[in-house]
Amino acid sequence: MKKVLRNISLSLIIALVLVGGKPVVAEDVPELAPLGPPPIPTDNPMTPAKIELGKMLFFDTRLTGDASLSCASCHDSKAGWGDASDVCRGYPGTSHWRNCQTIINAAYYNKLFWAGSSRSLEAQAETANRGAVAGNGERDMMEARLYQIPEYIKRFKQVFGTEYPNLKDAWRAIAAFERTLVQRDTPFDRYMKGDKAALSEKAKKGLELFKGKANCIQCHNGPLLTDEKYHNIGVPENPAFEEDPLKQITFRYEQYAKGVTEEIYRTTKTDLGLYYQTKRKEDMGKFRTPSLRYLNYTAPYMHNGVFFTLEEVIDFYNEGGGDDPIEKLYRLSTKTEKLKPLNLNDEEKGALMAFLESLTGEEIILAPPELPDYAVMK
Amino acid sequence: MRGKCLLLLSFLLLFWSAGVAVAADLARLPEPPKVKEAQAKLGRYLFFDTRLSGDAALSCASCHDPNKGWANNVENDEELSDAYPGSKYFRNAKSPINVAFAETVYWDGRLPGKSMLQVHVRDHITETHFMNMDGRLMLERMKQIPMYVRMFKQAWNAEPSFGNIRNSIREFEKTLVSRNVPFDKYLQGDQNALSSPAKRGLGLFKGRAGCIKCHHGPMLSDYKPYNLGVPANPKIWNDPMRHFTLRSFQLAMGVPGFERAERDVGYYAVSKKKKDIGRFVTPSLREVSRTAPYMHNGVFKSLEEVIEFHAKGVGPDIEPVALSKGEIRELVEFLKSLSGDVIKVAKPADMPEDYTLIEDWYNKRN
Repeated sequence: MKKVLRNISLSLIIALVLVGGKPVVAEDVPELAPLGPPPIPTDNPMTPAKIELGKMLFFDTRLTGDASLSCASCHDSKAGWGDASDVCRGYPGTSHWRNCQTIINAAYYNKLFWAGSSRSLEAQAETANRGAVAGNGERDMMEARLYQIPEYIKRFKQVFGTEYPNLKDAWRAIAAFERTLVQRDTPFDRYMKGDKAALSEKAKKGLELFKGKANCIQCHNGPLLTDEKYHNIGVPENPAFEEDPLKQITFRYEQYAKGVTEEIYRTTKTDLGLYYQTKRKEDMGKFRTPSLRYLNYTAPYMHNGVFFTLEEVIDFYNEGGGDDPIEKLYRLSTKTEKLKPLNLNDEEKGALMAFLESLTGEEIILAPPELPDYAVMK
Repeated sequence: MRGKCLLLLSFLLLFWSAGVAVAADLARLPEPPKVKEAQAKLGRYLFFDTRLSGDAALSCASCHDPNKGWANNVENDEELSDAYPGSKYFRNAKSPINVAFAETVYWDGRLPGKSMLQVHVRDHITETHFMNMDGRLMLERMKQIPMYVRMFKQAWNAEPSFGNIRNSIREFEKTLVSRNVPFDKYLQGDQNALSSPAKRGLGLFKGRAGCIKCHHGPMLSDYKPYNLGVPANPKIWNDPMRHFTLRSFQLAMGVPGFERAERDVGYYAVSKKKKDIGRFVTPSLREVSRTAPYMHNGVFKSLEEVIEFHAKGVGPDIEPVALSKGEIRELVEFLKSLSGDVIKVAKPADMPEDYTLIEDWYNKRN
């Protein structure tokens, strides 16, 4: 009953705003809040043995094509669980085409990858290990390698009850491990739980700007500081694509593999983001709002890693975002209308920076576990 | 009534095919196939280019090295072939010489030869333990190499595509045929083309030794699967990487019990019929004196060993036959007459350059 009433009053407010005919200034967005525990899918419950196995597999190179990379190669704990480069290094002989995202707090997203192409951590792990410019592993080979490692046979049996390791279960174990890589004790979390001393005065001023004048909260809201929606903010192109033949190869490959029209394949040099999933023109150039947590360790920023510092990112938003690459190409603007020039002065930018820095806690560093060897089996 | 007719028909077919088998004889190689020059030239470059494999570590020539009989090197004790990094192969790589005349390719004959060579080229490029390459990424690599773009234009009047890459290598393979083969000259009437021991060997081959039962026709193969009881090669089972590569292959082929996989099941992986477990397709004997080691797992190093083994009649699909040392030598002499001029193809000295930056990237049409 209470809920119904609340919904009615909410509709009333919205109606009033609309009737007033004025631009909507303060949208009803989820409030900032301390981060709770991550959701655990009912079909992949957490157990210590599964997490331990997942950790081993996360660091095991045998789950890629030529056994030279592991998940940890591009998601390195010493590089904010990314790889510290603008565009991810990719599989040997190739380059990737997007920035590696951090694993920290990935457990909370409802979809993974910059354009939300994976629906779960389990699916993301498989896609990353199989993609030609990522892990380039083939299912049969990766699974057969696991058959040849007695320690894994034992552990898969213990965790999943199977006689031989099943590759699907490997992704489940890795996902379970990733659900332990969360950070919930940042200064911001402590502040939101009532520790008023957890944020400096400067950061508190930054928080007010975040919610007010800078209006970051339009998209970066809720406990994860993301609406998990897709927006075109006009991120500039990364000049690396004009300088590295491997990246040009991969750019064409990605468009070819994602099934765009021939005309798009021939002419488009900008990453179309969500369009590759939906094939709707209005989704061109849209990327999922990333969380702002753990930001201090995850430079460079944006889907193509074009900004190496947070200062650059703040300046970018202060200008009201960038030019719409889609409008240039298709005379159809998909750029979000939420972005406007902010007119922040240097002091305000500094305050905003101080607040953003409060969203990161201690650096999470993990040593690689000892991994079992192949064995002769007769 | 209809059933009886069918039964009769199948009996007739059976007799007819048996008749063909009995009448089967040796034949000289057909004329070399017609080859499209520009396409074959392009195929030769591609054959030696490592950018056709996933991590750009291997080319076709890595396992089919023209300097090693177009396969592995028995002298270096490499009877089993390499494979994609992170795996090791569990069979003896075959020579591509004369594959243009082969009914099927691979030891289990799972893919067609002759005019369909592009199919096995595709398999080699994409197969996880061979070149592990996503064809879409491969064609984009080719487009980043101006010399290849020109060569594809010249050969195919088109831009690089996965299809044209495969077909170019097919055309190159069609050039790899035996020429000036003593045995073929003999069949054409040149009595001096074979030595006396070779002629006696030929007599044994067609007669008492019974080789011709399976090794007949122009390729000296019936392209049918047999179980000869070839001994296991312990190198496969003592090397975990070879073992799991075999398991991976059996998984991909849907072989029941692939998780255990304690033997190479051969043609069974194709047919899934129990009787085919351990059967392998009769290999061609052309160029055989240059393609040691022998058998699917390279377990024999010399032709003498191979003939001695065949004579023992170990497996269910072969009869024993008594052969003297001298007769074995004569058979070897005959087998040597099946090799033509040595086919030397070097890696092109002017292999296409490294990937080249496309200038004015944002305005250039892909």
